[in-house]
Amino acid sequence: MRTPVFLVFTLTLAAQQRPSAPAPRGLPDGPGKDAVVRVCGSSCHGPQIISGKGYTPQGWTAVTNAMIARGAKATPEETNDIVEYLAKNLPPRSGTAGAGGVGFIGAGPDDAHVVDVEAAGRGKAIYAAECVSCHGPKGRGVSDGVPPAQRGADIVRSLVVLKDRYGATIGDFMKRGHPMQSGKPSASIVGSELQDLSHFLHQKVTDTLRNGPYSQVINVLTGDAKAGEAYFHGAGGCVKCHDAKGDLAGVGSKYDPPTLQQKFLFPRAFGRGVLGPVKPPKPVLLTVTTQDGKTFKGTLVHLDDFNASLRDSSGEYYSWRRTPALKVTKEDPYAGHNALLDQYTDKNMHDIVAYLEKLK
Amino acid sequence: MKFATLLLLALAATAQTLDPAKLSQPPTDSWPSYNGDYSGRRFSPLTQINAANVHRMSLAWVHRINAQAGGQFGIAIKSSPVVVEGVMFFTIPDHVWAIDARTGRELWHFTWPSRGGIHIGNRGVAVAGKWLYFTTPDCNLVSLNMKDGKERWHKKICDPDLLYFSSAAPLVVGNHVIAGISGDDLDVPGYIQSHDPETGEQQWRWYTYPEPGSPEAKTWPTIESMMHGGGMTWGSVTHDPELGLIYFGTGNPQPVIAHKGREGDNLYTECIIALDVKTGKIRWYFQSSPHDTHDWDANQTPVLIDGTINGQPRKLIAQASRNGYFFVLDRATGKNIVSKPFAKVNWSKGFDKRGQPIPDPAKFPQIDGALVAPNQAGAANWPPPSYSPATGLFYVNASNAYSVYYLFDTDDKPEGWGGNDRGGFSESMLQAIDYKTGLIKWSHKWEGAGGPRNGVLSTAGNVVFAADPQANFIALNATTGQALWRANLQASISNAPISYALDGIQYVVVAANDTLYGFAMNRSN
Repeated sequence: MRTPVFLVFTLTLAAQQRPSAPAPRGLPDGPGKDAVVRVCGSSCHGPQIISGKGYTPQGWTAVTNAMIARGAKATPEETNDIVEYLAKNLPPRSGTAGAGGVGFIGAGPDDAHVVDVEAAGRGKAIYAAECVSCHGPKGRGVSDGVPPAQRGADIVRSLVVLKDRYGATIGDFMKRGHPMQSGKPSASIVGSELQDLSHFLHQKVTDTLRNGPYSQVINVLTGDAKAGEAYFHGAGGCVKCHDAKGDLAGVGSKYDPPTLQQKFLFPRAFGRGVLGPVKPPKPVLLTVTTQDGKTFKGTLVHLDDFNASLRDSSGEYYSWRRTPALKVTKEDPYAGHNALLDQYTDKNMHDIVAYLEKLK
Repeated sequence: MKFATLLLLALAATAQTLDPAKLSQPPTDSWPSYNGDYSGRRFSPLTQINAANVHRMSLAWVHRINAQAGGQFGIAIKSSPVVVEGVMFFTIPDHVWAIDARTGRELWHFTWPSRGGIHIGNRGVAVAGKWLYFTTPDCNLVSLNMKDGKERWHKKICDPDLLYFSSAAPLVVGNHVIAGISGDDLDVPGYIQSHDPETGEQQWRWYTYPEPGSPEAKTWPTIESMMHGGGMTWGSVTHDPELGLIYFGTGNPQPVIAHKGREGDNLYTECIIALDVKTGKIRWYFQSSPHDTHDWDANQTPVLIDGTINGQPRKLIAQASRNGYFFVLDRATGKNIVSKPFAKVNWSKGFDKRGQPIPDPAKFPQIDGALVAPNQAGAANWPPPSYSPATGLFYVNASNAYSVYYLFDTDDKPEGWGGNDRGGFSESMLQAIDYKTGLIKWSHKWEGAGGPRNGVLSTAGNVVFAADPQANFIALNATTGQALWRANLQASISNAPISYALDGIQYVVVAANDTLYGFAMNRSN
């Protein structure tokens, strides 16, 4: 049996203390919670998987869009309610424990260290004064370009930190003696200073998680707007349905660039505007011709191998068993967008974003 | 290969205990392991329900689990039930139930007192003699008495402080209980281990990275990157008793998306692995996704096929991998025979001399995004496929999907994920693949968006049981792909169907969210 190098520490866990109250479990009450529970808890995971996460409205829009792409079933109204609820109730934060642990979808033990963000802020000052030159600004260690004596370990991967709760393990480590930038003995870091440093180090760990602060699209405006315009009018065939001075006028102000990119690639995925909710995607249309020659047109409600149903413009609902004699035609207004996915190069994609972003 | 037709054994009310020989036989009056037998092919030799009469199949029983049982994590049953001596055992995270396989009546329910971990799913139990084994989100392998659900022992198999967890169904092979682990939030190494079925003591552990100094270790830039390089073992394990090997897939490398600092192929992540079951020593590997940057865990079941290639009988192994490629290998040597896409892929530049895809650096995650097929959910995922020796076809629920992969963390030493995919388009279909060529024999497209998260069962009755993304449990003609029967269960089908026969009645059981449905040929005419 081999043991990974980083598991060779021998640890003594001191009595664990938990000075701050654990984060409340479950989802806060508020408008839209029902939709979250109904849609997000129906198939792949329960609604509480969201608990403890925090994103910007754009971040939650992106998460929601990704879930719809993976098969989450929501009406446009429900989608809107879900994004509004999540954006309002679960804003960005760092290191807050959710159900079952600190990480994405509840990773980690129930008794994980819960970061106190204010204490972590104070701990950052201690880290800057005593630790950063060897362990680096993100705690990931330093190895290149510094003298060997300053090559500090990766704190995010350190068992001393991962096993710690509120300074218990880190305190033991510091008591044993560890070089500090100021030359002070490390054992002098005790009490509230130790607590604060512990919160900061745990924050560096939770920062690397999928719900951490680095999980942001950096910049999608790298394309050539002129080439995008040419594609729009040429190979893309976008002008068959769209007009830069008509339906797309001002689209560059309506969406932030990452949403704009997602919106033209995947229009079926809900896109939230910079200023809030926008018009929901267009429904799929169904035309059904029965054996006796009657034709029904409307919004697709359900279609599978065995059944078809629609709601017509007057609000009437019709449902059929599918047979060879029943003619069913589906029309997705976004079929052209879907077909383009097989055609776009990444350069096309970046060029189009650059072009659309200029339509202010 | 010969198959027993329906076994009309009148079963007396015997105590539940599993004859180990059943684990390597085609399942008839039992379904004694996750995949039904060691081959992983999820093929039932039963024929009472067949393509000619499946339209008459009807509901025999329903079992809805206690709505409180799943607590805050939801309650979808993703496990494959195991059936032994007329009793069915199934799980959700932290919970095991025993129910009567004829009626759905509950016999007992065991609750594990959880200390945390990701509760995304649990794949089910393994059985040896009169004992059950399952894993927990807080990293325990637990053994229960089949008779009453009383705990015999539990053993820690991973460390939740490092954000490991377990969801895998263990596999019993002789004197070994094989258990895999999960966890790709922090940069920790993967491994799989074997335990003594009686005492629970660990027998061996195999880390999913090479020996430092070996040629394979050169697929990492540094020892540190290798030992923090991921490669979890959460998929199902298959076994060839003649060769004495177990087979399984390994998961994504770490950091998952931001790959700076792990230049190279990153062995043994994203591999199909063959280990000697007695010693845990590696026999061969095949890397489904060298240097993966898209979270395309290669944990999909490696399915054993006793087939024919160029007129020669061959011991084969096949995987429909999350990255969109279907692979067939010689399972004694790992040598590649077939590599073909079974869904849309745009990320590779062909194959290397081992038959492994060569990733296209242009489709690595980019700061401004790269449009990639498939998406992170993959062309296939955990829901198990099926292989029918009767049709020679490999069936897998598959997705054509696009999303945009972004690099978020441009640090020289990224950690964790450092990027992700966003948004997307997907359409799904059941693919029937000719294992000899990798060509799609037929494709049954499902209506509606999103990929189905459910597995497949094929039977000697020329039926494939699958599900669409719209809550329909569907029987199809295994030869043609024609849909023959459906039941809309009003909740997404959440596991893979199984089949067994008791008292002359063939049952087909599937789960939709919190409910198990037992279908049967209730009438003989």
